[in-house]
Amino acid sequence: MSRQASDFFWSGTRSQQSASTHIAVNSKAIRAGILVFIGYYLGARVGFALTFQPRPISVFWPPNSVLLAALLLSPPRIWWFLLLAAFPAHLIAELQLQVPPSMVVCWFVSNCSEAIIGAGLTRYLLRGPVRFDTLRSVAVFCMCAAFLGPFVSSFVDAGFVAMNGWGEGSYWQNWRMRFFSNVLTALTLTPSIVTWCNFKPTQWRRISSSRALEGSILFLGLVIASTVILYNARTNPDPVLFYVPLPFLLWAVFRFGARATSAAILIVTFLAIWSSAHGHGPFTNQSAETNARSMQMFLIIMAVPIMLLAAGIQERRKAEERFAEAFRSSPDPMSIIRQRDGIFIDVNDHWVEMFGYERKEAIGRTVRDLNLCLSEGGHVQQMIGLRQSEPIRDLECAVRAKAGGVRQVSLSADVVEMGNEPSFVVTIRDITDRKLAEEANRDLAHASRIALLGELTASIAHEINQPLGAILSNADAAELLLESESPPLDEVRKILADIRNDDLRASEIIRHIRLLTRKHVMQMESLDVNEVAGEVVRLMEAEARRRNVPLGTKFAAAPARIFGDRVHLQQVLMNLILNGMEAMADTPEVERRLFVRTVTNGQQRVEISVTDSGSGISPEKYPRLFDSFFTTKENGMGLGLAIARSIIDAHHGKISAENNSTGGATFRFDLPVDPVAAR
Amino acid sequence: MSSPVSEKPVVHVVDDDDSLRKAVTRLLCAAGYDVRCYSSAGDFALADRDNRRGCVLLDVRMPGPSGLDLQEALAREDEPLPVIFLTAHGDVPTSVRAMKAGAVDFLTKPIKRDVLLSAVRNALARDLRLHTSHEQRRDLRMRFAKLTPREREVFELVVAGRLNKQIAAELGVAERTVKAHRGQVMAKMQATSLAELVHLADKMQYSIL
Repeated sequence: MSRQASDFFWSGTRSQQSASTHIAVNSKAIRAGILVFIGYYLGARVGFALTFQPRPISVFWPPNSVLLAALLLSPPRIWWFLLLAAFPAHLIAELQLQVPPSMVVCWFVSNCSEAIIGAGLTRYLLRGPVRFDTLRSVAVFCMCAAFLGPFVSSFVDAGFVAMNGWGEGSYWQNWRMRFFSNVLTALTLTPSIVTWCNFKPTQWRRISSSRALEGSILFLGLVIASTVILYNARTNPDPVLFYVPLPFLLWAVFRFGARATSAAILIVTFLAIWSSAHGHGPFTNQSAETNARSMQMFLIIMAVPIMLLAAGIQERRKAEERFAEAFRSSPDPMSIIRQRDGIFIDVNDHWVEMFGYERKEAIGRTVRDLNLCLSEGGHVQQMIGLRQSEPIRDLECAVRAKAGGVRQVSLSADVVEMGNEPSFVVTIRDITDRKLAEEANRDLAHASRIALLGELTASIAHEINQPLGAILSNADAAELLLESESPPLDEVRKILADIRNDDLRASEIIRHIRLLTRKHVMQMESLDVNEVAGEVVRLMEAEARRRNVPLGTKFAAAPARIFGDRVHLQQVLMNLILNGMEAMADTPEVERRLFVRTVTNGQQRVEISVTDSGSGISPEKYPRLFDSFFTTKENGMGLGLAIARSIIDAHHGKISAENNSTGGATFRFDLPVDPVAAR
Repeated sequence: MSSPVSEKPVVHVVDDDDSLRKAVTRLLCAAGYDVRCYSSAGDFALADRDNRRGCVLLDVRMPGPSGLDLQEALAREDEPLPVIFLTAHGDVPTSVRAMKAGAVDFLTKPIKRDVLLSAVRNALARDLRLHTSHEQRRDLRMRFAKLTPREREVFELVVAGRLNKQIAAELGVAERTVKAHRGQVMAKMQATSLAELVHLADKMQYSIL
């Protein structure tokens, strides 16, 4: 038994885990004991009353079921007390019949063993008390408490009877009699006791008058129908009559649940036995034993499926209620859309709030009817059209409310069966604000990138004009050569090849600049760190020459891949390199050094650093270095490093700065290694 | 010492960008010039120029000494070659500095053929002009060097517009002696008239002073 299972097993139905744990028997247990005593005694009296004449064959033996119910309802801690409380009731009831005391004691032992086996196994397998509201709990109860308990204990019982020389029947006769009567009683009486004991008096108040009326009609109808059929029917009735109680039982199943169903089964059972015991009804035409057996079989076979059905329906209803509750109270707008035709089956209050359509307006119409999706939201309609069954997660699209306002939303949908119709349960999250913030951030990053490139104009123009100049002069030379009498075609061919190469060189530079100037959405992809850094260094080389700064690199030997946005990361690196070069403006040329390094830190992270030999960071500026609008430059905006930090944050990295011991400063940022590429 | 003017001028191209240097060289060759190219200012400085006349096409921004540094070094030479600057990105302060230091032109890449060729033509013409006047000056100086001290005195006074009589009085010699000296001066300076002598003196004064 696992520890968790044992915890559940030993915990009680109600609040027995409280302060009373150290006192084994508290007032609640005493009350339970008294109820067990009364129930056991009355059960025995009923059992005696319902014997089939002329031979006293007990078809229905309530005491064992009372005991079983008591144990199912109580924590095993107090079982000994309940069994003790049942013993005097057993004695009183049995001794009235002049049964020998030894037989009385033996019977008590076998009865107790039945209850302990049944309740113990059931509680263990269900990890707690049984509630009859799930298919599993009913199945376990039927298997363990209603079948296995009586099955095992009947061997003991029949053995005791034989040992004491009591009665007239053979061992197997006794076994059979006891087994069937106990199975029937456990199946019909125990669920009633358990479910009705769990019924709190306050629940009565919640029952509406119409429901009370319906319940009354149901039970009245059931009693009348059962009485008519089972008491007044002829000895050999039409078999159809056996089915007369069935509609009432199903009525209870579908409209009232497990509790009412168990009560209804109990009524039918009681009336059937009572009628037969008094010589009425269909089960009276053969020997007492055969009559008893066929009636027991009839009732057992009827009770088990009805109880399972009730539990199954209750389980489903509860799940639906939970879903409905979640649907209603969800903080996100939700809707249910039928897959077949895309019409709204239901929407919740937040949906109504968001879109401005009343619930009544929405239900029965489609997304298209209400014109909810903007053009790019077409795939929502498509998705409905395709009858796909895959859940949809975080699909971003724009929707339009009734008043015309457009919101950006993230949409998730699951396909569920709603009344046998596949339907979408669509949850919407309003991400307009997040989108706006993202856009503002993007614009800012873009503006800063443009400013950054503005500082590089001179070098960029140089880099582009160089190949353009070569192209022009080459073309002019070729033209001149072709004008001569015998044009040197080989030379012209070489010139054309050079023109092509220079053209490619120029367009490569322009492509890179364009990439950096384009306003762009974050595009996360797997990137080689050295490649990303190398491209930036190449772009900055001209600028470094212009400023007379030697630009050195030292890249990690092992290629490391990260998951990130190329343009944004290059922007950060460009910013750091430019800052480093600016910090060296007043440094004598021979002392200027700028180093770009990439280092892998173990398997997890990659670091990119930029080291300069400039003026370093003064301590009072250090704490605000990465703040917005903080700048040490005369015409700087103070956004570069702030944006760099926000970009690195978005990549789950860290950016930091420190002064070198040898002068100058080092700015570094580290990024997590792309887990997919690392594998 | 002096190089024959008839020899074909050389265009020197100094640029660190291989493809551009190659392209400009090709163009100038096709246009019929003798071209020599260098990938840095240092290469150019170390190269033997055989005393040939010509001009220099110089990139402003190069690793190591820049074009401006090279221009400065060239200017210290006896007969500096004219410089045409080439730049991929013309910024005003650099071009002002280059022109002040005597650059013939300041061209921005990409350079149009006509602009480049006419700049080269101008530079070579200027070089030729400068070279010619330089040669003339040298020639005059050599003629002047042949004059005796007394003849020089006479020469200065003649050029100053004094009459023979006045010169004789000033130098304390006979008028006839002055006449003889004057004849020698005219002969040695290869002047046929007083006006020509004055003109030569003018030219020389210009250069001597």
